[in-house]
Amino acid sequence: MRYSALKVIAEGFSGNKGWKPAWRDPDPKPEYEVVIIGGGGHGLSTAYYLAKNHGITNVAVLEKGYLGGGNVGRNTTIVRANYFLPGNQEFYSHSLKLWEGLEAELNYNVMHSQRGLINLFHSDGQRDAFARRGNAMINQGDDAELLDREGVRRHLPYLDFEQTRFPIYGGLLHRRGGSARHDAVAWGYARGADQRGVDLIQNCEVTGIDIVDGRVTGVQTTRGAIRAKKVGIIVAGRSGQVAAMAGMRLPIESHILQAFVTEGLKPVIDHVVSFGMGHFYISQSDKGGLVFGGDLDFYSSYAARGNLPMVEHVMEAGMTLMPMIGKARVLRSWGGIMDMTPDGSPIIDKTDVGGLYIDCGWNYGGFKAVPASGWCMAHLMATGESHEVARRFRLNRFATGHLLDEEGTGSQHNLH
Amino acid sequence: MRINCPLCGTRDRREFTYYGDAIYADRPADGAPAEAWDDYLHLRDNPAGETRDLWYHEMGCSSWIEVTRNTVTHEISATRLLTDRKAPAKGRGKA
Amino acid sequence: MPSLFEKTPCEGLLPLAIGGMTLTEIAAERITSVAPFAGKDRAVGAALKALGLGWPKPGQSVAGKGGRILWTGRGQAFLIGADPEGLAGIAALTDQSDGWARIELSGADVEAVLARLVPLDLGAAAFPKGSVARSSLGHMMMVLHRSEDRAFEIMVFRSMAATAVHELHAAMTALAARAAAR
Repeated sequence: MRYSALKVIAEGFSGNKGWKPAWRDPDPKPEYEVVIIGGGGHGLSTAYYLAKNHGITNVAVLEKGYLGGGNVGRNTTIVRANYFLPGNQEFYSHSLKLWEGLEAELNYNVMHSQRGLINLFHSDGQRDAFARRGNAMINQGDDAELLDREGVRRHLPYLDFEQTRFPIYGGLLHRRGGSARHDAVAWGYARGADQRGVDLIQNCEVTGIDIVDGRVTGVQTTRGAIRAKKVGIIVAGRSGQVAAMAGMRLPIESHILQAFVTEGLKPVIDHVVSFGMGHFYISQSDKGGLVFGGDLDFYSSYAARGNLPMVEHVMEAGMTLMPMIGKARVLRSWGGIMDMTPDGSPIIDKTDVGGLYIDCGWNYGGFKAVPASGWCMAHLMATGESHEVARRFRLNRFATGHLLDEEGTGSQHNLH
Repeated sequence: MRINCPLCGTRDRREFTYYGDAIYADRPADGAPAEAWDDYLHLRDNPAGETRDLWYHEMGCSSWIEVTRNTVTHEISATRLLTDRKAPAKGRGKA
Repeated sequence: MPSLFEKTPCEGLLPLAIGGMTLTEIAAERITSVAPFAGKDRAVGAALKALGLGWPKPGQSVAGKGGRILWTGRGQAFLIGADPEGLAGIAALTDQSDGWARIELSGADVEAVLARLVPLDLGAAAFPKGSVARSSLGHMMMVLHRSEDRAFEIMVFRSMAATAVHELHAAMTALAARAAAR
């Protein structure tokens, strides 16, 4: 079924009885060409592009819970292409271009809103670093504008420009940055993959990976054994456990990142604003809630909740930057499980097991990467070669020293 | 979360700084092969369950503490001063 | 040669008296950080005994006629108000006399004031007279010592004196306001 305005009107006049489920609910078949472990944003987009770009439709996506119930449904929805290092730059640039055509591509409203992202800076040294980053973004073909203090004030008059702890010197404006509706991205890819014949199998937990003579032959699941020629592990915070089923140990530590939403308010914050020095960023959702967060809780964790000191820290940072939000009441908060790598950059690569591929290590920036991650993982699984914009996301780069340390914080998982 | 400092008693999590997995206490010997350093710096068991990691009592007595902790429940089952650790843990990095 | 003048850490900030509580600066005394060298714990204990003191257990202090020694961390104590005689060569000694702001908070509601800033149980049962803790005062590192039943000695880095006084002043004021509203 194709969605359109006409369809909405027609259904409106006929009692909305003609809508069908957006995807089927099939039982697993005994064998597929490709099995994707993980029905989140990255897994679903991989399945979609396997079908769309490579004609591989004999694919199953196995999800232990429900589609989009993990990090893609629990993040703060920022979409941007403001990376600095070659290797990351071209990848996120590619991803942003995919975002810009995503709604037409998927025939699905993912509410992608390019409202502009402003990263604030608070010292001369930081201004230089941001100017350099902005130039790198422009060289890559993306957009960046360096704003001075008055330039920031024109966009964000409500910030506290008098505070002295981190005085606002200016900001880097990335106009094509913005946000999107998190669930809708997962649902859009799910529907697109399903329409092309991919089986989306929910409530199906993988309990083992079958390997014969160094080659993957299938997976064991709570809904029976499934044979497959190729298997992709795309499970974000649970990467360590699933990879362990194949005898692998990953350069990943799972950490907790908290986020917060206030009650719905009238439009008040019409950009995405990040206050890196204070560990705070914020945007306003289309429902009106202020969506904001800060840094990791810093200790490894699989609990989908954090601790109060970081809650306090984020609130303090928010009040420092924009005291007006003190009147807003926090409606809910939660913690997501981040698959942190030692250099803060992701992994899309083959493994030492034949036919077994892995896409992980998205740290706390996986949402914006959903389109390109799927695009590149599908390319890798279909052709056996890394896609050119993801060629540096190698699993062995830590051993070889080819790190992509965007923040320059060194080989420590929780510092990125 | 509250952590039992062997010297100061049970203290609020905010007095402590997290460093990382307890593997950081088992630094490879000088001249160890590159694989040993990769193992030490990058690769992690990353268990969903009991783990051991290093915390520094920064706002307190400046001790390094090895904490045995559950990553799913945040329950802390044991703590000891890093200086009380006799031998390096066995069974790591042999995947 | 510039002309330097002597100034205590809390000069111009203290004393304060609010709601039956007082906050005063403690008169300057010699402070020596004592960290016994490896294997010298016994010798350091003996040297301190000669000063009428002894090595304090974690969380405790030892007071004598000639001064006090407060436990301040793993393998470290601060000797206050006494010269570190007999300790050279067996412990790392550092003169920290000018490094700290020392403030005394006293009055009936001292625990209630500190409860707003310090994440510890400071009730008399858990933290009796003579107890010492390293902890935080707001976001600042602190040495806390219950010097009397109703008085605490608070030590913070000298450069943070004004912030410490500000925090304590705010806590004392808020507590007094709440009591007045009752």
